[in-house]
Amino acid sequence: MSLAAVMPPQVGQKPDPGMRPVISFHGVSKTYPNGTEAIRDVDLAIYQGDFCFVVGASGSGKTTLVRLLIREEIASTGRIFVDGQETTRMTRRRLPRLRRKFGIVFQDYKLLPKLTVAQNVAFALQVTKPGQRHLKEKVEETLWIVGLEDKLDTFPDELSGGEQQRVAIARALVHRPRIFLADEPTGNLDPDTSWGIVQLLLQINHRGTTVLMATHNREIVDLCRRRVIAIDSGRVVRDEVEGGYLREGEATI
Amino acid sequence: MRGLLASVRFALVAAGQNFTRNLAVSMAGVFTMGLIMLLVGGTLLLTHTVDAILAQQETQADEIHIYLQDSLSMRTIADYEARFSHDLRVNGVAFTSKDQAVVLAQQRGLQLQSAFNVLGNNPLPASIDLHVRTLGDLGQLNNLAKSLPIVDTSSGSATDYNPGVIPRLQSLITVTVWVGGVLSAVLAVISLVIIMNTIRTAVYIRRTEIEIMKLVGAGDWFVRWPFILEGVFGGVLAAALGATAVAVAYRFLLTQANTQTYLGITFDGRYLTAMIVLLVAFGAALGGFGSFLGVRRFLHA
Repeated sequence: MSLAAVMPPQVGQKPDPGMRPVISFHGVSKTYPNGTEAIRDVDLAIYQGDFCFVVGASGSGKTTLVRLLIREEIASTGRIFVDGQETTRMTRRRLPRLRRKFGIVFQDYKLLPKLTVAQNVAFALQVTKPGQRHLKEKVEETLWIVGLEDKLDTFPDELSGGEQQRVAIARALVHRPRIFLADEPTGNLDPDTSWGIVQLLLQINHRGTTVLMATHNREIVDLCRRRVIAIDSGRVVRDEVEGGYLREGEATI
Repeated sequence: MRGLLASVRFALVAAGQNFTRNLAVSMAGVFTMGLIMLLVGGTLLLTHTVDAILAQQETQADEIHIYLQDSLSMRTIADYEARFSHDLRVNGVAFTSKDQAVVLAQQRGLQLQSAFNVLGNNPLPASIDLHVRTLGDLGQLNNLAKSLPIVDTSSGSATDYNPGVIPRLQSLITVTVWVGGVLSAVLAVISLVIIMNTIRTAVYIRRTEIEIMKLVGAGDWFVRWPFILEGVFGGVLAAALGATAVAVAYRFLLTQANTQTYLGITFDGRYLTAMIVLLVAFGAALGGFGSFLGVRRFLHA
């Protein structure tokens, strides 16, 4: 069965006037103790159901943006809101609740090698929702969504890179987050596998989940024609609703 | 409630899995800590035993034997016994006959047969034995005894009073207690550092797991508990190993000491049990606290 067939239609990317953004940055800057200015005066608003590519060269500040969102880093100046809550002033005790709003995947998958695929996915639920009923069914359902329903008892080392990333996506998805963050999820994958991962993220977005994907994969961004936030030297230099990797008419060597 | 039970179950299972999945690192920590526990337990037990021996010696030191001439009548001896029993400085008076003196000497392991053969009779004097209320009165009673006409001075001294032994015993007890205390404290600090570093190594191996737990929204204590329980488990295991070794060694050394010396050290089962309980509690606390400190760094990273 095609996944798209069971998905609800895509949630609109153009917000109604007055709609509250699910993520917003207000004049956010981040300077590291060594003086490096990773993010400079960023203003952003991302709405429920958006699919955003955050593009830019390595070191442009994409990862810092993601880390600021989940409060892995604290902004030096400015304010960040997630789901109406200001995260910049949030106490450590409230961070777990903030992070449960997110599903996060990374370039290096971050799977636990001694756990099976099903155990890796279940781990996220055991941590976030101890005592969760029908845990097995939820894990199996999520693994079906990412197309790994026949790999339940397989260990990560026995999977390909693309499959490992799908497990990471399933783990990020199993607790049904409102926002999905992907930091260079295709960075270690070949073009075909990368495209498969992006299609999966698009399908997740079809279900109404906001997706924010940091990438420097030009082909994928150009093919999808979704919202593009371009960062250069820590500044947002472009924010297009249906953009490409580069500005129209812009060229690189 | 269901969530709490599930969290407790998760922490217990995770602690067990952490321990067994990294068995080599876990056991290295347990054995290192067990060795420290052995040293702490050994020091405690040694201090206690030395303390007990010294206390026993001190008890014996509050006694003064006044050696009597052989020719005295039983009536005369009884008169002096009565006189001493009315002295407020004296706590108890007893009489030891010449024959009883031989028995006591033999109990202490002295071989007297050859002396008897040479001398032809029992050379040991009878004595009036005084137990004093305070050790400070020993000197005065000794002076009094020496002036009495009944004392036997043929062996060179009228009593067995040795003025130097009491202060020496008291200072030896003080030194033993201090050395034992300081040594135990130093060992406790060393074991804390070792357990902290062992747990830190174990935590470092599982840093990805911690990172994932944090990223999916686990609270600090949810992350900490499995490691703390693992530390407690390791600490208890280490303490049990150390305590068993100490108990076996204590039994063995005590038997050896009593066979080869005349110290007459008694097996103190109550102290041994208390020490084992203390070591296990100490091990659990140390393991838990070490883990708490070890995982802290990674949680705040």
